[in-house]
Amino acid sequence: MQKFLQSLEKKLIKKGFANIKVSLVNESVLLEGEVDSLDQKLEAGYIAAGFPFNQVISNVSIKNLKEEPFPKASLTDESLNGSIYDVVIIGAGVIGCSIASKLSAYNLSVLLLEKESDVGMHASSRNDGVIHPGIAAKPGSLKAKYNVRGNEAYTKLCEDLNVPFFRPGSLIVFGSSALRLLLPIFKMRARANGVKGTRYISRKSLMRKEPYIEGKQYGAFYMPTTGQLSPYRLVVALAEHAVENGVKVSLDTLVSGFEKDGDGIYSVATNKGSIKAGLVINSAGAWADKIAEFAGDKFYSLHFRKGVDVIVDRKKAQFLNHIMARPSFNLAKTKTKGGGLIKTIEGNVLIGPTAHEVVEREDYSTSSVDISQLSNHFKLNKKIEVSDIITFFAGVRACTYKEDFIIEKSKRVRNFIHVAGIQSPGLASAPAIAEDVVNMSLDILSSKMVIDKNPNYSEKRKFSIPETRSMDAKHLEELVKKNPKYGTIVCRCEQISEGEIRDVFRSPLVPVSLDSIKRRTGAITGRCHGGFCTPRIFQIIQEETGLPVEAITKKGGRSPVILKKTKGDIDYSYVKTSAQEDVQ
Amino acid sequence: MIVASYDVVVIGGGPAGLAAAVSSHESGASTLLIEREDRLGGILKQCIHDGFGLERFNQRLTGPEYACKEIEKLRECGVKVFLNSFVREIKQLERGFELEIQNSKGVARVGTKSIVFAMGCRERSAKQVFIHGTRPAGVMTAGQAQFFINIQGYMPSKRAVILGSGDIGLIMARRLVLEGAEVEGVYEIKSEPSGLSRNIAQCLEDFNIPLHLSTTVTRVFGKERVEGVEVAQIDSNFKIVEGTQRYIPCDSLILSVGLIPENDMLETLGLVLDNSTKGPYVDQNMHTMLDGAFSCGNALHVNDLADFVSESGEIAGRSAALFAKGELLRGESLPVEDNGKFLYKVPQFADPCSSEDLIFYFRVKKECRNARLEVKNGDDVVFSKKYMVLRPPEMEKVIIKPEKIVHKDRSLVFNLVEANNE
Ligand SMILES: Cc1cc2nc3c(=O)[nH]c(=O)nc-3n(C[C@H](O)[C@H](O)[C@H](O)COP(=O)(O)OP(=O)(O)OC[C@H]3O[C@@H](n4cnc5c(N)ncnc54)[C@H](O)[C@@H]3O)c2cc1C
Ligand SMILES: Cc1cc2nc3c(=O)[nH]c(=O)nc-3n(C[C@H](O)[C@H](O)[C@H](O)COP(=O)(O)OP(=O)(O)OC[C@H]3O[C@@H](n4cnc5c(N)ncnc54)[C@H](O)[C@@H]3O)c2cc1C
Repeated sequence: MQKFLQSLEKKLIKKGFANIKVSLVNESVLLEGEVDSLDQKLEAGYIAAGFPFNQVISNVSIKNLKEEPFPKASLTDESLNGSIYDVVIIGAGVIGCSIASKLSAYNLSVLLLEKESDVGMHASSRNDGVIHPGIAAKPGSLKAKYNVRGNEAYTKLCEDLNVPFFRPGSLIVFGSSALRLLLPIFKMRARANGVKGTRYISRKSLMRKEPYIEGKQYGAFYMPTTGQLSPYRLVVALAEHAVENGVKVSLDTLVSGFEKDGDGIYSVATNKGSIKAGLVINSAGAWADKIAEFAGDKFYSLHFRKGVDVIVDRKKAQFLNHIMARPSFNLAKTKTKGGGLIKTIEGNVLIGPTAHEVVEREDYSTSSVDISQLSNHFKLNKKIEVSDIITFFAGVRACTYKEDFIIEKSKRVRNFIHVAGIQSPGLASAPAIAEDVVNMSLDILSSKMVIDKNPNYSEKRKFSIPETRSMDAKHLEELVKKNPKYGTIVCRCEQISEGEIRDVFRSPLVPVSLDSIKRRTGAITGRCHGGFCTPRIFQIIQEETGLPVEAITKKGGRSPVILKKTKGDIDYSYVKTSAQEDVQ
Repeated sequence: MIVASYDVVVIGGGPAGLAAAVSSHESGASTLLIEREDRLGGILKQCIHDGFGLERFNQRLTGPEYACKEIEKLRECGVKVFLNSFVREIKQLERGFELEIQNSKGVARVGTKSIVFAMGCRERSAKQVFIHGTRPAGVMTAGQAQFFINIQGYMPSKRAVILGSGDIGLIMARRLVLEGAEVEGVYEIKSEPSGLSRNIAQCLEDFNIPLHLSTTVTRVFGKERVEGVEVAQIDSNFKIVEGTQRYIPCDSLILSVGLIPENDMLETLGLVLDNSTKGPYVDQNMHTMLDGAFSCGNALHVNDLADFVSESGEIAGRSAALFAKGELLRGESLPVEDNGKFLYKVPQFADPCSSEDLIFYFRVKKECRNARLEVKNGDDVVFSKKYMVLRPPEMEKVIIKPEKIVHKDRSLVFNLVEANNE
């Protein structure tokens, strides 16, 4: 290893990074020093990743840029203090929720902690929802392994959870005969990774599959297993399924450290008190490297690649039948780039994502540059135009310098599992990742306890909100007869009824922000972006929760929508008291 | 599942739909009015300022007062109304239509010979004008702020920046100040305000609220709640003038950046919308290209005054009733053309065989002074008028008698010529 350190040092000097110091820590290479820009920091990290160290830890700072502060909790209480759990999972993204859902099949006490006011507020709800076939990742990588297995698992999983899912299949279209020369590479990849059913289709059958495709195309590589789903519906369903089977979810709960006992974690420190844990699973997404550091097992650093997507008016969905992209020249590398046109299960078209590195872990701002980068994709389809964009969003992928997942038992902390660097295709891989993490967990825990199956476990999610918009008249009529509120439409654009919105408050996991209602029902997501229905949904939240208006937020924390009442809202309580006093 | 049949179904119970239902009934048609909300009146319910009704009632009324008068008329003629009812689906039959309607009682199927579409409009949102930056609470449309304040009694802002000088934005600027909030300014990307002059005077000038023209909001700041916005000046090509960016602390960004007619239902029936109005193409009977489908009010094009909305509703209701009785015949559809100086003209077609007056509404593309409008049918001038000033925010109305259209195979052409070019 020393030899590699020396040659890395030489290479860094050659590339102008003479002031970066290298050393070995936990079998990984540690980089220290200061550079001028994020680009330089990344370049140094990638150079190090090219050497056969386990991972890259980059403590390189950027001139004039402070390190992003660790998040602060918006409230503190003692509600979890002194509690004891067999398993504590940190982070309720698709990874944490998948693990919780699968662990609930066993007779274990499981606590899932999430710092936000709802599950899946970060990468897991800010992605394309594509269940990739598993061709993009390098053969032999964890990404390839988990993606292919995860893809296969989705059909049954979505049935069990009652989450809408479909497999429109994807097409990599060749815009020139030269590009078609890439075909053997795709075929090889498919074979090596075990992706089933892929094949080349001719220009003619491409035109049949995608009649509105633009221009002259030279056929396409077709991958029929590619699927798509609503990522936030999935995450919510996973969390609800876990809760139904006994997992406790604690929202607004920030993990800020650990108390160790020898080579193990004794307790988890949070803003709601300290929790004793038999096993800790780190699925903290963009903060996973910090959590690893807190646990005393830092052997990787994350960097952050933002992606922006636009959503096109659902009217245009009829002109696209698949998930479609041009060949990406980064196929050889493992970075996600390129993006394409995506037909969604909700009847929209998504276009994206972009990819560029950012400093902040939760920076979801967008700029016009992001949108213009996507304009190229519009050229692939004759009917979909830039003016059809109805909204756009950003997400951030948490990546290691090796650009692969880290899914392993800690080598240095007895009862700690890392699930980190879960960039794309993390969503597609989640069911398979969860399966392996559950096995690792059982392995660790079985040394001190006997683990049984959970006798009350149900593979199917019991709770679900009916989707009145897709019901036929007869079924809707029956439903409305049982509960008239399903007959009253609140969100006109997406046709969401009052019953559906009120159902959120009877769900296994009740969060109370506007965005959480949006994610669970689809209200507010339409053409008017909540212009009409927001005030009415507000009223429903108030009726259901009894919260004062000022306490109802857009997305938890300090995001109130209403700041105060209008003039003339006097506190009348004093009138009553003085009247009573007069009488007495 | 109830099954009922009507001559005319009116969808939408704002001023357009109300007037349509009354006039349809008065023309002898059995009429049903369907409204999604629990009260009639449409947007007028939340417009508590005055200025409505000058044309129609010769009175200055508030929005709710205006609506009340219209609702009273409807009550007198006893038109059947479904409130809290949502049209899920419209099917076109060989003759007429079938509607599937849902409400808290169940799902009902209703057959009808003609339909008046009067669904009003929605507001353009932050995403549609590509406002970038973060996504905090506190970015909202002016109409939403209006609903919060005027209907619910909630203040969504203590210090606001308003983007867009549309009428609703101007009115909300004043309303916010009256409620004790601070309005830092109104920012308009264009070099001219988009609201009515009277609203600029009464809502901004009287309250010392600055209006910044050729300026726009370029970025929103704040992770949870809006903490500020960046504004910048815009040149004549709508490009940001570098160096003019400035940061304004505020807790909300209120948007008044345009209205979009609600016509998705029409599109599902296969009707193509006019790109300049975002409403359907109609003739002077408010008859769309689809037999038996009529459109009026803000669903047809965004009106500046509710009074004109009611007027178009009356025509649509009457025509729909005649159509149901088989008395509205479609003759020629002459296209209405222009010399490029117009934002739009409605109706877009004229039927010279109809006895209905030709009532046109138009907006100009750019402000023009001392201009003469001539409407020609073939070589005949059928209408001519001189205007001191024409501004895009202000809609103009022109009435032409159908008997003046003698060349039944030649289009109508609107020509606008400014005096200095004459
Ligand atoms: C634009 C974009 C498009 C993408 N498209 C796809 C796609 O189409 N298909 C696909 O397979 N993948 C896609 N991905 C990748 C996918 O979104 C991620 O791989 C996946 O969501 C990662 O899930 P996660 O649970 O690891 O992370 P997250 O969803 O980020 O979850 C981590 C959670 O941990 C919480 N947390 C962090 N620190 C703490 C703490 N200290 N205490 C308590 N809680 C904490 C966070 O609040 C967060 O909720 C895309 C990603 C992006 C950005
Ligand atoms: C937020 C906002 C504020 C405004 N403020 C002013 C103002 O201050 N002054 C002014 O002069 N003009 C204002 N306008 C313009 C105003 O819309 C018109 O003056 C007038 O109200 C339009 O009348 P309408 O009947 O066409 O539409 P609306 O008044 O919008 O009425 C349409 C009605 O149709 C109903 N509807 C829609 N779709 C369906 C469906 N599928 N099924 C059943 N019912 C349906 C709606 O609930 C609504 O009641 C405003 C517009 C908006 C959007």
